[in-house]
Amino acid sequence: MGSCEAGLFTEIDKLRAELVNNVEVMPGCQRDEEEITYREILSRIENVILGIVTSLSKDENPVLALPNRSSWANVSFDSAIGLQMNSGSSVTSIRSDSPSSVRKFAQILKIFLVIYKLVQSNSYATKRDIYYNNTQLFGSQKTVDSIVDDISCMLKVPRRSLHVMATSKGLISGDLCYLEEDGTRVDCRSGSAAVAVSSNIGGIRNIVSSAKFVMIVEKDATFQRLLDDDFCEKLSPCIIITGKGVPDVNSRLMVRKLWDTLHIPIFALVDADPHGIEIMCIYKYGSVAMSFEAHNLTVPSVMWLGLLPSDLQRLRVPEDALIPLTKRDENKLSSLLKRPYLTSQPDWQKEMELMQQTQVKAEIQSLAAIAPDFLTNIYLPNKLRYGGWV
Amino acid sequence: MEALQPVLTDLKESMFPCMWPSPQPDPEELCAFTDLYGSLRLLLSFQMKDERFNSTELCARIEAFLDTFSLANAKINIHLKFKLNQQTFQRDLRVKIKSTVVLANQPSRILDVTCSTQPPECVKKGCWCQGGHPVIGGMVPLSIPPKAMDQGLFGELSIQPVTLLSPCVLQYPNLATQLTHIKISFANFIISPSTFFQNLPAHLDCQELGLHGLHCSSFKDHVHSSGMVYTVEQEPCKDPEQESSLLPMQQSLRLYLFLQHSDPFNCHLSDLMATEVLIEHYLEDILNNNRQSVTKALQTELQNTLKAQNRRKKDQEKLRSAAEVILSSSISVVSCSSNVDFRTACLNSMKVRDTHDLSASLRESLRRVTSWKFTPRDRCHSAQMEEHPESDDATRREI
Repeated sequence: MGSCEAGLFTEIDKLRAELVNNVEVMPGCQRDEEEITYREILSRIENVILGIVTSLSKDENPVLALPNRSSWANVSFDSAIGLQMNSGSSVTSIRSDSPSSVRKFAQILKIFLVIYKLVQSNSYATKRDIYYNNTQLFGSQKTVDSIVDDISCMLKVPRRSLHVMATSKGLISGDLCYLEEDGTRVDCRSGSAAVAVSSNIGGIRNIVSSAKFVMIVEKDATFQRLLDDDFCEKLSPCIIITGKGVPDVNSRLMVRKLWDTLHIPIFALVDADPHGIEIMCIYKYGSVAMSFEAHNLTVPSVMWLGLLPSDLQRLRVPEDALIPLTKRDENKLSSLLKRPYLTSQPDWQKEMELMQQTQVKAEIQSLAAIAPDFLTNIYLPNKLRYGGWV
Repeated sequence: MEALQPVLTDLKESMFPCMWPSPQPDPEELCAFTDLYGSLRLLLSFQMKDERFNSTELCARIEAFLDTFSLANAKINIHLKFKLNQQTFQRDLRVKIKSTVVLANQPSRILDVTCSTQPPECVKKGCWCQGGHPVIGGMVPLSIPPKAMDQGLFGELSIQPVTLLSPCVLQYPNLATQLTHIKISFANFIISPSTFFQNLPAHLDCQELGLHGLHCSSFKDHVHSSGMVYTVEQEPCKDPEQESSLLPMQQSLRLYLFLQHSDPFNCHLSDLMATEVLIEHYLEDILNNNRQSVTKALQTELQNTLKAQNRRKKDQEKLRSAAEVILSSSISVVSCSSNVDFRTACLNSMKVRDTHDLSASLRESLRRVTSWKFTPRDRCHSAQMEEHPESDDATRREI
């Protein structure tokens, strides 16, 4: 089978036409990002500092109000955008006069200062740099990561506009070339090796690709398997990308960027288990934690290519390759079914209800029980050829 | 005191020729009586003919006794009038703030928990606790030394400590505190100079308590009644700059020891009084005979008190180190900014001229708002409680 076989992309091309007609494109969000100038960012930080000084001038305890990024009550669902933060969301108050919260207050102020200087000097630092500059204050990398996102949400400025970069964990491969901000040319067409997702997605330009589709792969193991099996050659032209599990912001931004630039179908290849479905939902609808930046991160047009629970029955995957659902899986599945975005996805609901009924899950690797090369040579090509996505 | 014994014996015999303790009156009946006729009054008046006694010293001793009595019987208002030649000494002992202490196997006691420490100037009206919150310790059984038994002291003896930290700063959780003095006294006895208490610092584990040392300083104060007073040795301050701006609130700990004796064969008032005399006489022996258990009880109470102080110290350190970062970050942003409006607004807010003064001013303000953070507590005796200075139940742990 080769990519030039007639009819392989017929369904995909149809889907693409449909998507381009139906899905609203939002160029405004791009403009929004450009409109937040460095001067505005500095001004927003200065307002926070002035607030602290004003409180102290009145002999009042300074308090920082951080939008609550972990509460479902603070997000609402829009089918065109995904999960987005409500305008009047609840806040968490960080007090400077409480021993339990004063350290966090200090950590936030420190990062404000770092960001202020980065933006002012037009230089960049990674979150790792920030952590290692003051490990005693921050305690862990996770603290820095969380506070940077809190500040991004508080100031309503994307993290990359704060000049704080994150080392990407995602990988990409396939029919794609682009230029990084510093002029470096990136070619993802090497069949056997993948390219790390850029840490400066906003700076990417001159994207060139004739890919018919993008496939998001949940796990690194599956991604590597596809690389080893020359998937991108066999199903050329295409792009595959992985966030290695729960995707980081850069991987999500990259998927979004590909959609905005190429307007081609985006498919998800995840394990047939609640965790995999949740990861797919993050790409498609976003997460509660990053809902304040949903416009830039979500791709509502993502389609579920596989592994579907109905595939397990249809393909008669051997029983010993199937795993019973744990209590945790059941709870996760029930929680997913209650999410606001599932109501607009009846086919996804059906698949998840089937999983609830059969009480089994399976990894993509379970297809190897049918045949070693089943995934790359049979399953995926047939799925793509015959429109086996939901 | 021993010299007064014959006088007291005469007094007792003339007042109570044949008396036995009567059952306690029913509180409801008592209330009904006092509602109609007012508070019960007891007038005890006696005239000394024997001029051997130093009247001034006698007056001081009576006053000291009444002070001790009043501390643990705070509901009783006492009026002392002492006439010598043509001169009269008068004093009213009325307790402003009281607290009920429920002791094991004893009737409840009403303690005087009034604190005389004046609040600092920065404290707003109605935001200072004028009393204390007694903390009841565990009861410690005592063995009666053979010497005392030979003299007729039998039955069961026990001691129960009650601590009172003063002034109360529970409403100021961020305020650093420093224990400077510990006063130990018996609630129902006046302690004569006692080797047990003089040697107590040597038997306490100061290291475990986190103290540099305890020094005994015998001290008689007519206001506070006699007792053993210890000075707590303080840790030398590492940062002289810090010393001036972050002076901790000095506190003193009052440790009351309630001694309880019970003997089912003692039912006459005269027996009870004789027992009291015996206990007082052999108090030193009783304490020495139970040195380990009494010292351990005192160590426990001190440890509990100091635990709270140490916690405050750790919190202070957290606040202080975080404050440095908060201030340095804020000042850096102001200093780096090219936004004139922003800089001017910051300087004008704090009414300073430059960022150097701004730094000092912000530091002082932050220190003030965090150290004096006020968290009102219903249990504290703030100004509005003055009209109703009634007791509230003591808690097991209230520091």
